[in-house]
Amino acid sequence: MTTTATPPTTTAPAKPAGRRGTDLSWTVLSYALAVLLAFVVSGIVIAALGHSPVDAFRAILTTSFKSSFGFVETVQKWVPLVLLTLAFTIPLAAGKYNIGGEGQLLVGATAAAAVGIILKDAPMVVLLPLVLLVGVLAGGVYAWIAAWLMDRFGVNEILSTVLLNFVSFGIVDYVASEVWSDPAAGHPTTVPIGDGGLLPLVGTPPMHTGVVLAVLVCAATVVVMRRTVPGFELRAVGTNPRAAQVHGVRIGRVAVGSLVVGGALAGFAGAIEVAGVHGKLIEGMQSNYLLLGIIIGLIARGNALAVPFVAFGIAVLEVGASAMQRTADVPSEMVLIVEALILLFLLFSDVVGTRLRRSSR
Amino acid sequence: MNEATSFLQLVVTAMVPFILAAQGTMIAGRAGVFNVAQEGLMMLGASVGFLVSLKMGGNLVGLLVAALVGAAFGWFLGWVTTRFRLDQFVIGLALFFAATGIASLLYKVVIGVTLKPPLIDTLPDLEIPLLSSIPVVGTVLFTQDVMVYFAFLVSGLLYWMLYRTNLGLKLRSVGENPKAADSLGVSVARTRIWCSTAGGALMALAGAYLPMTYTGTYTEGIVAGRGWLAIALAFFGGWRPQYILAGSAFFAGMEVLALRVQVGGVDIPHQFISMLPYAATLLVMMFALRWASVPAFLGRNYDRESRH
Repeated sequence: MTTTATPPTTTAPAKPAGRRGTDLSWTVLSYALAVLLAFVVSGIVIAALGHSPVDAFRAILTTSFKSSFGFVETVQKWVPLVLLTLAFTIPLAAGKYNIGGEGQLLVGATAAAAVGIILKDAPMVVLLPLVLLVGVLAGGVYAWIAAWLMDRFGVNEILSTVLLNFVSFGIVDYVASEVWSDPAAGHPTTVPIGDGGLLPLVGTPPMHTGVVLAVLVCAATVVVMRRTVPGFELRAVGTNPRAAQVHGVRIGRVAVGSLVVGGALAGFAGAIEVAGVHGKLIEGMQSNYLLLGIIIGLIARGNALAVPFVAFGIAVLEVGASAMQRTADVPSEMVLIVEALILLFLLFSDVVGTRLRRSSR
Repeated sequence: MNEATSFLQLVVTAMVPFILAAQGTMIAGRAGVFNVAQEGLMMLGASVGFLVSLKMGGNLVGLLVAALVGAAFGWFLGWVTTRFRLDQFVIGLALFFAATGIASLLYKVVIGVTLKPPLIDTLPDLEIPLLSSIPVVGTVLFTQDVMVYFAFLVSGLLYWMLYRTNLGLKLRSVGENPKAADSLGVSVARTRIWCSTAGGALMALAGAYLPMTYTGTYTEGIVAGRGWLAIALAFFGGWRPQYILAGSAFFAGMEVLALRVQVGGVDIPHQFISMLPYAATLLVMMFALRWASVPAFLGRNYDRESRH
């Protein structure tokens, strides 16, 4: 017993220390290469379409930093992106794919707007927390439906979360065009929520304080994932469900819980969009945050510490995309292709990395 | 032609995208490749099919090119998940993004932003001699366009291939127990790549059919979740071609019903009607999975050197 146990303890400390250094530099290198290759390939495509890749990339990369307006727009775009990414990566840590962030965001936004409209005369101390809280709860409950179908009936969670997205479109459309419709808007939109429900703005140009809340959520996620029992159980279930179960983790409950927490964060994003950006519920306000959240989550490899930074990078690309369409005449969809290419090249770098390490050993 | 007959005729037409996309999902899935890029591949198929038909003239060319593009995507999924054993869901999602982006990009590059989008001819109905003169059935089943016959033919061929040929036996064994298949000399990688390629082609065809029968043009919302519903249909049909064919009638029926109720001015808010196909699918899935079986190695990559 003792003789077999000693060798690993003597060799173990030295080995990870050396490996961690090369692993980190390899990670940085693989990200840099993936981004570079993605830009090279899409640059060739842009050139082939008869536009100037230099102009296009300049518009994409600099719009966020040229003016304070661009920067605030980028930061405000970062909020729903980072929250929807966490809505995807937290269940992913338990091996579950939440493709329903869109629906959870919309239901959260609908509930937040409903409270903000019904109690529109309430003072801010009451209304603002209520608006945000109701958004969080509604998103969580909506994700729970999918989690319950998965746990109780074995319905694939990819499927149930996606189908609930389409159900939520109907809910938003109904609320925005039948219940509290604003006829002057010309597009399914509700009347504005009470002033007490709006997030305070700071600075010039004004930026809503939901940004601070999102930063706090990011920090809390990192701590919970790495330093607490639920976070540990979550990662245990994702890495090796059988081992986790043998050691007494109730894997069904962890999976359901991860989806509900993910949905709650998406609902929070919806509430912040209502209380900070629009001040009302607008049909189509989910934009393409779901897709982007998944891309960011996969590029960050589900690492909670990396998510905010990757999300900021993607927010820069997204804000730059419309500028690129205006100035360089390249369709904004090009950016989606750049993002997909970054992801694909990153995945391929894993393969190359494994090969290199295997051959150098 | 009375109300019921025209309703059924529309249902049969609406079945086609579901049949093709779900059979494509099924054939890849039976070999163990779980493709989740349907929605994107259908968008790309719709865009490519429309643009090629418009510019090169002729819907058949459009269908063919769309199928080839879809096949390329399917091949890529099969190749990277077998050769490099990358995660099937992650690659599938990446392909979904890429295909969605390319679909809209192609349309914008070729057509640009116009108030009045150009139209292509929709597929003409082909009456099958003799059979089409049977009352009701003749109209519903045998006065349809070429893709309707193709979809039914593909379903029949897949059934025959899977359950009546040696090839089908090998194919199924790769999805159920790749180790056993491998030990008997069946190439797991090659089988998976071929099935994924065929699946991708069918998904893109499903998308290409949409502008050719409904709208005559490509719009961003043209697929409207049918790709995701096709995954549901594959599960619902227990990954068997004959049940998928039957199940597609349910999905298509929901779609046509939702449309009819909206037009018919029934006193239910149309937003609730538009939820119907998705909500009904969820309800059905709750009970379908009790009897439906799933290929044992669905979504899992095969590593010859691993112990499972």
